[in-house]
Amino acid sequence: MVRLVRPMKPMDVAARLHENERKVLLELKDRGIATTEELSQLTGLSRDALEKASDWAETKGVVAFKEQVSLFYELTDEGREYARDGLPEHNLRTLLVHGPLEISKLKETFKGLNIALAWIRRNNWASINRGMIELTDAGTDIGDTPAQKVLQKLTRDTPVAGTELDGAEDVLEQLQRRKLVERTESVVRFVEITDFGKEVVPYIESTKSVQIITQLTPELLHSGEWKDSQFQRYDVTLPAPSMKPGKRHFMSQIIDYIRRFWVELGFKEMKGEYLELNFWNFDALFQPQDHPARDLADTFYMKTPFSGHLPDPKMVDQVKQTHENGWTTGSKGWQYKWNPEISAQNCLRTHTTSLSVNAIAKLRPEDLPAKFFSVGRVFRNETIDWNHLAEFYQTDGIVIGEGVTFRNLQGYLKAYLEGLGLKKFRFRPAYFPYTEMSMEAEVFIEEKGVWMELFGSGIFRPEVVKPLIGIDVPVLAWGPGFDRLIMQSYKVKNIRELYSNDIGLLRRAKLWTE
Amino acid sequence: MPVIEVNLEDFRTLIGRDVEISELSERMPLMGVSWEGELEEGFHIEVFPNRPDLLSIEGLARAYAAWTGEKPGLRDYPVKKSDYVVNVEKKVVSKRPWFVTAVVKNVDFDDPLIRSIIQMQEKLHVTHGRKRRKVAIGLHNLKPIEWPVAYTTKPPEFKFRPLGERFEKDLNWILGEMPKGKEYAWTVEGFDEYPMILDNKGMVCSMPPIINGEYTRIDEVTNELFVDVTGTDLKAIQEVLNVICTTFADRGAEVYEVTNHYPDGSVLVTPNLEPWVMELENEYVVKTLGFDLTPEETAEELSKMGYHAEIGPILKVKVPSYRADIMHPIDLVEDVAIAYGYDKIEPEIPDLFSEAGEDHLEVFSRGLRNFLVGFGLIEVVTFMMSNEDKLFHKMNIPVEPIAVTSNPKMEAYDSLRNRLLPSIMEILSYNKHHPYPQNLYEIDDVVLLDPSTETGAKSHRRLAVILCHARANFSEIKALMNSILENLELEAVIEEGGWDCFIEGRRYTAKLNGEPLCWAGEIKPEVLGNWELEIPVSALEMDVEVLFKAIS
Repeated sequence: MVRLVRPMKPMDVAARLHENERKVLLELKDRGIATTEELSQLTGLSRDALEKASDWAETKGVVAFKEQVSLFYELTDEGREYARDGLPEHNLRTLLVHGPLEISKLKETFKGLNIALAWIRRNNWASINRGMIELTDAGTDIGDTPAQKVLQKLTRDTPVAGTELDGAEDVLEQLQRRKLVERTESVVRFVEITDFGKEVVPYIESTKSVQIITQLTPELLHSGEWKDSQFQRYDVTLPAPSMKPGKRHFMSQIIDYIRRFWVELGFKEMKGEYLELNFWNFDALFQPQDHPARDLADTFYMKTPFSGHLPDPKMVDQVKQTHENGWTTGSKGWQYKWNPEISAQNCLRTHTTSLSVNAIAKLRPEDLPAKFFSVGRVFRNETIDWNHLAEFYQTDGIVIGEGVTFRNLQGYLKAYLEGLGLKKFRFRPAYFPYTEMSMEAEVFIEEKGVWMELFGSGIFRPEVVKPLIGIDVPVLAWGPGFDRLIMQSYKVKNIRELYSNDIGLLRRAKLWTE
Repeated sequence: MPVIEVNLEDFRTLIGRDVEISELSERMPLMGVSWEGELEEGFHIEVFPNRPDLLSIEGLARAYAAWTGEKPGLRDYPVKKSDYVVNVEKKVVSKRPWFVTAVVKNVDFDDPLIRSIIQMQEKLHVTHGRKRRKVAIGLHNLKPIEWPVAYTTKPPEFKFRPLGERFEKDLNWILGEMPKGKEYAWTVEGFDEYPMILDNKGMVCSMPPIINGEYTRIDEVTNELFVDVTGTDLKAIQEVLNVICTTFADRGAEVYEVTNHYPDGSVLVTPNLEPWVMELENEYVVKTLGFDLTPEETAEELSKMGYHAEIGPILKVKVPSYRADIMHPIDLVEDVAIAYGYDKIEPEIPDLFSEAGEDHLEVFSRGLRNFLVGFGLIEVVTFMMSNEDKLFHKMNIPVEPIAVTSNPKMEAYDSLRNRLLPSIMEILSYNKHHPYPQNLYEIDDVVLLDPSTETGAKSHRRLAVILCHARANFSEIKALMNSILENLELEAVIEEGGWDCFIEGRRYTAKLNGEPLCWAGEIKPEVLGNWELEIPVSALEMDVEVLFKAIS
């Protein structure tokens, strides 16, 4: 509790007292001190309200708290047993009244002999000589001992107040050490009026008419009553709950950011379908029809709709010839027989690069140069676990135009990586069937001391570009996923959490502030 | 992508220098292989599938020594003349049409070489060979073979002694009982007779691509080999044969040619380890990479990648026979860049003006997303993939035709959703331990079948809101829809009835210009029960594209 430091006049303090604080002070005017329980009854306030009012009053220095600790004692299970059957040293003494005994014989018959021997000697009730034990004078002539008396007194179902056991402090301490008795404390709180409080009391009557406002209401404002009232002062440092806001999903905030990022760099958005012809997802990207990337293991193929219609026959023929013999691209091609039926089958796009080739196919040479980006979901036929998802986001980009270079590719991607706040990254050679140069962007993970692959990029092969647009023109291309970066940024270890929509996580996830 | 293990001592011997692991882990990735980590006796790397020549330690060492500038330039791989002849018979051509061969002598089969060869053979089979269907390799002891060798077929009852068996077995038994037979039987499925390689005595060298014969088994004392590569693709098997022969040659072996006669009268003399020439305009290199290189500098970089280039404005580049991936001059440009160093290039954004901007529907969607937050709603982002149970059974909606995948690994995700509401109901069912109200929304796509499109399906942008709290009701959700429409200055026509997930008499369909725009109501208690929810839900789903069309 923070105390008000500024000294105030009794009159001013009286004016700031809450109704409940007044009640407390008035009750204490004559009594001087009372327990919180008594005060609760006297004022008619609930215990909770009384405690709160007393706390407030304490911060104003008109009352002070006192505490009285009361002690209670209770038998342990072992203590209860001895209270019933007698303490071992007593039982042994009783046996010895009829004369000395051999310890070795006692060992077989007497229960708890070691405890009994220890205490009987400590009390100096018996002496041991050559294996024989014999009562001393002190031991012969005793009646009920204090320990026994205390044990009897404690044989109740409820703890016994320390006040009932006056004078037995030493015995109680000993019994506690022997773990036969347990002590508990109970605290009674007293509220006592302070000298300052006594000074304040006379003013309470005179300031009684001043209303103390807790909640400012339309009525108070309307009537103007607030002008003659005092505002209840709050302890502004007390904790308060936080509100539960409506909120954008953090993924969606980041996707907005990525969109804005590309637009600011002068890119135009391209959109397209999730369900795509193999033609766009693979063939137009010069991936041979027996390429392992087209394997059933990685790609979702469709039962419904199983297949579709190939686009513009002229362009399709150019793609076919490029696969088979390189067409006029200057390439040798893959040298196999291209099958249009495979190409017309449907799949779920495995990368948003399908949008990039779609965009290129729609361009005419006079539309160049052009820069495009996309943000969208892609699908992989994976079993979902902490490290894999069947669908996730990618952001593809292409720059198409005479004179764009590999250096420019590195330029755009450096800007992207820096835009995401990455500092230590590198570009290294990679392989993708549809790019040449192929390039992997990697970021250095300090904690692990390793390079982590971020995404692939490159310059589309002439075998990709020329069949689609009819001319050989360089196209810079990249297709980063960004789930891993978000996981790093949001300290998420399990990739499923990104899409788990746990409302607790959504409510507390930090705002994306870039 | 294939990963190969490399013994460091062996690698050091091959490059002729005591290279440190730290250097390799830092530099190898910049040469174009992925560093996979250190091993007890060396390291492992991942090889890109376009570079089968790097699948052997010999090939990797050859590339590294050139790239670092220690042993640059083209290596000479002479092939000696010989009288070895192979006859390809007509009946095998329709089954497994291509067969190329070589003879390798003076092979010193020490332990590192054996390990490297076995590893390379395995990796080639998996990647380039497409699990032996496209390409399969056989290595034989040359000694017992009596020439000429025949590539032919034999019926299923034909018997020979397969590698590792004590007795002769018929071909059906081999395919049905032997582990290798069972593993690769699919490659010869449906054949009435199976491809066989026999010598002049009729002894079996191999039953490709399944298993070799015991007859030509290789052991530690073998120093002369007959190499066969069979397959469905001539280009691919020649590349693989070249990779194998150059690997042996790098260990000091001598390579001999074999003349392969085909039934149509054509003759293939293999292996052909002569480099071939590709022309490369220096201007093309400079234009593509974006920095200046003279023809001399380009030639110098090319030599670091194992080429030899004749200098001129148009460089004549001699490409080694093992570089299967060089299809176009652009492939040479990439190698120039790798030799130059991806890390030494200065990134630069060009001054390139083009039209920019977001997709209009996306701009509109973002406006809606921000607007809905004003109602205190939390945005969710859910999976597009779903299944029949979630989309229909749990929603008490009769099954409708939707886009379904043919090969899903998980039943829970085998279809594309045609509504958003089931996705959000699922989210509610996962969040029962969090305090209510749980008022959620999502704006994203669903996929509907549509025969008029290229694929037969089309995506649609939707908006869904779910209000879940103790007093969630019809008026509240309708008020929310009204607010959206008012803020867009639109007015819809409300018709009773709608989706079966809503309580009858408390559901409606709103139409805009005659098109369905919004489906809303209170969710049926049995639907709540299906999702194990005990708090009322009122909900709406809206077609954002209809909305967008109306305001455009």
